[in-house]
Amino acid sequence: MSHDNHDPLDHPEVKIASARGYFIGYAFAAAMMFISLGLVRSHAMSPAGLATTITLIALVAVLAQLYFLFKLDLSESQIWHTVAFAFTVPLFVMAVGLTLWMFHTLAARTMLPGMGM
Amino acid sequence: MLVNLQGPWDPIFGRLGLILQYQYNNPVIFFAFELSLVGGAIALFWLTCAGKWRTLWSDWLTTVDHKKIGVMYIIVGLVMLFRGFFDAVMIRTQQAMAVGASSPGFMGAAHGYLPPYHLDQVFTAHGMIMILLAVTPILVGIMNIVVPLQIGARDMAYPYLNALGLWLTVSAAALVMISLFVGDFSHAGWVGLIPLTELPYSPGVGVDYWIWSIQIGSVGTTLGAVNLIATIIKMRAPGMTWGRVPVFSWTTLATNIIALTSFPVLGVTLALLTFDRYLGTHFFTASLGGDLMMYTNLFWIWGHPEVYFVVLPAFGMISEIVPTFSQKTLFGYVTMVVASMAIAAVSWSVWLHHFFTMGAGPNVNAYFSIATMLVGIPTGVKVFNWLFTMYRGRLRFDTPMLWAIGTIFLLISGGMTGMMLAVPAINYIVHNSVFVIAHFHNMFLLVAYAAFAGVTFWFPKVFGFKLDERLGKRFFWSFTLGSIMVFIPMYILGFMGMTRRLDYISHPAWYPLILAELVGVGFYAVSVFFFLAQVVVSIRNRHDLRVGADAWGTSRSLEWGTHSPVPFYNFAVTPMVHARDEWAWRRENKLDSLKPDHYVDIHMPKNTMVPLILGMLSLVLGFALIWRIWWLAGLSFLAIIVAIVVRSFEKDTGYIIPAAEVAAMEQDYLDRAREVESAGEKVGGGAVGGGVPAASRAPWNKLKGD
Ligand code: HEM
Ligand SMILES: [Cu+2]
Repeated sequence: MSHDNHDPLDHPEVKIASARGYFIGYAFAAAMMFISLGLVRSHAMSPAGLATTITLIALVAVLAQLYFLFKLDLSESQIWHTVAFAFTVPLFVMAVGLTLWMFHTLAARTMLPGMGM
Repeated sequence: MLVNLQGPWDPIFGRLGLILQYQYNNPVIFFAFELSLVGGAIALFWLTCAGKWRTLWSDWLTTVDHKKIGVMYIIVGLVMLFRGFFDAVMIRTQQAMAVGASSPGFMGAAHGYLPPYHLDQVFTAHGMIMILLAVTPILVGIMNIVVPLQIGARDMAYPYLNALGLWLTVSAAALVMISLFVGDFSHAGWVGLIPLTELPYSPGVGVDYWIWSIQIGSVGTTLGAVNLIATIIKMRAPGMTWGRVPVFSWTTLATNIIALTSFPVLGVTLALLTFDRYLGTHFFTASLGGDLMMYTNLFWIWGHPEVYFVVLPAFGMISEIVPTFSQKTLFGYVTMVVASMAIAAVSWSVWLHHFFTMGAGPNVNAYFSIATMLVGIPTGVKVFNWLFTMYRGRLRFDTPMLWAIGTIFLLISGGMTGMMLAVPAINYIVHNSVFVIAHFHNMFLLVAYAAFAGVTFWFPKVFGFKLDERLGKRFFWSFTLGSIMVFIPMYILGFMGMTRRLDYISHPAWYPLILAELVGVGFYAVSVFFFLAQVVVSIRNRHDLRVGADAWGTSRSLEWGTHSPVPFYNFAVTPMVHARDEWAWRRENKLDSLKPDHYVDIHMPKNTMVPLILGMLSLVLGFALIWRIWWLAGLSFLAIIVAIVVRSFEKDTGYIIPAAEVAAMEQDYLDRAREVESAGEKVGGGAVGGGVPAASRAPWNKLKGD
């Protein structure tokens, strides 16, 4: 039982990479992009509706990429990656959101009106 | 691209020409220099005479054994704790000498003996060292030693990365020590008060020393965090479900999640500051759209979680020690775990309490105030759990327990004053006063107390003998007297309006309290003596102080289920876990024999010198960047990359210990254990100083009904 012919492909995290997954992920992302482009060019909706639809499409595209390209899912070998990823969301919202809020009130209280910001 | 510098610069020597401008005739620096030269010479001499170089190299410098790495972390931390203590003594003597207009001045100072610029460097170094290079390495060291043992693993998930983290920390510490003699250190406070850290206000290299030593050290801490998280998640012994993970390992997990998520913020903040200083950007200056409050904001987004990074392992250690010396299970395991995680979560949303006074609106201040107070709830849960654990327990006051109880007292008093500070109205009054200093020292001292508790508690596990109880108690009491005498006057002075970071005290009425603080530092000095005496005496008497596997006789978690000192492979066979307090469970069921029915081959990681090399290279890199010696920086950076790449091709990183060899080594340990047991009731911990002798099994059975 020697370790020198240690094959990285033995590890589930590495093995999970698949050309098919990458291809589907890419195709899916491209499709979402073309759909958005089409929607914008044809002025199919009101500006507000368009913005909402495109945001939703972007969200779907991001989720699909996370699944197909980064393989984040609930399987045994990936669950911790997914947990770690999900965990960044509240931290991000908190750090960025609270900072924005704080600087917003700060600017309102300390900046002279009309001077920058 | 690079910003224009004042003063000399040379393509080969960078800014080293500057050191001709520093004043090296200062006796204080000279004394420190002498001290380290003589100390270093003695160490080298001893190593050579005793023929220890080989052992040093193969047993320590190139090791990947998590226990040895932990021990080295703790030693680095203790050395830096001592350095930081020396700085504290300097601050205290300066303030005691500089009260009132008629106080004399020496060596170029108008009052006292430290000119303002030098004092500013001293307290900056003191703060930065104490937090990042003393307390943090000691805690990381303890986590390193204990966690794999508690969860029944052979080593950390990534032994090589573990060693790398250590050597990065060492090179950060080395940079700070070098700054003492080559150039100077930052004078802008350990928080890097903006805009003082910007180039126009600090044209020297001091701030660069501060930046790069923190950067290098925090890369090490982040790597360590990755490693500990992976170890706890992936390396638990069979049977150790999440509900059975010991509380210290749980708090380690919470702590390292904090580290992993917050240290990158610090890295980015310092990188932006670096761009400002080196490339002339304006992230934190008001010119061209920069915002100096942004620095403070970003710094504390890291800074506040960081204080929980140090306090959570302290809570974890107390949660192991209190049950052991109360001879009972920990009260409220589940709430303890939930509380740790809750503290980690809330710690991320409170950072603005560090700058209530900067002018944010009342809603913002109220939000952060309430969030801060929320942390009090899980913390309170913890305190109550410890108290209920002690309630009707059979308390024994061995030194670790004394430190643990001291920790709880400090937590209560520090927590109370923290609650006061969390009220913006009070904060406006005491902001930047020594009241704040007293509060956070109260909290950091708690961590130091817990660290001493942890070190004395687990020392016998790692080395196979206990620390001397009598000297340990003297250490505890003199340290405690010091804490009382220094920090209670400091609280009072804060209320009286004394601001922090003063080099001259204009108010003679404060003199008596300042003198009291000086006396307190004297008690601390005495405690340092007792600590050193404790170590020396214990090593001398190590034969009499030997212990068996369960050093305290009433220990509860898995790490006590292997030999003391722990073999480098930790457990002869991977243990099967049956209960939350596994070792107590085995003791109760008379399954506490350390002799398995058969031995198996063990796979272990090989020693490597790559981490040491990477550490030294990053020291060179840091030094070159500080002095802006670009060719050297480029070269060492390249060398780092090459070393990493070369190492990644190394496939042969482990080896096998055959079962027969394991059996032979185990026999030695078993013989030693038998010898210790027959030498008296030392296993119970009672015979050697301190506590009541504990019979090896009885108390547990009786107490179960309680
Ligand atoms: C041996 C006991 C200690 C004493 C006597 C002591 C004393 C002091 C004093 C006098 C100051 C300056 C207060 C002022 O500005 O007026 C200070 C600052 C500070 N201390 Fe300590 N200290 C001790 C231990 C520690 C420990 C264990 C830590 C952290 C783990 C620590 C962290 C700090 C920090 C962060 C500052 C603020 C530095 C700054 O203003 O930038 N100290 N200490
Ligand atoms: Cu805070």
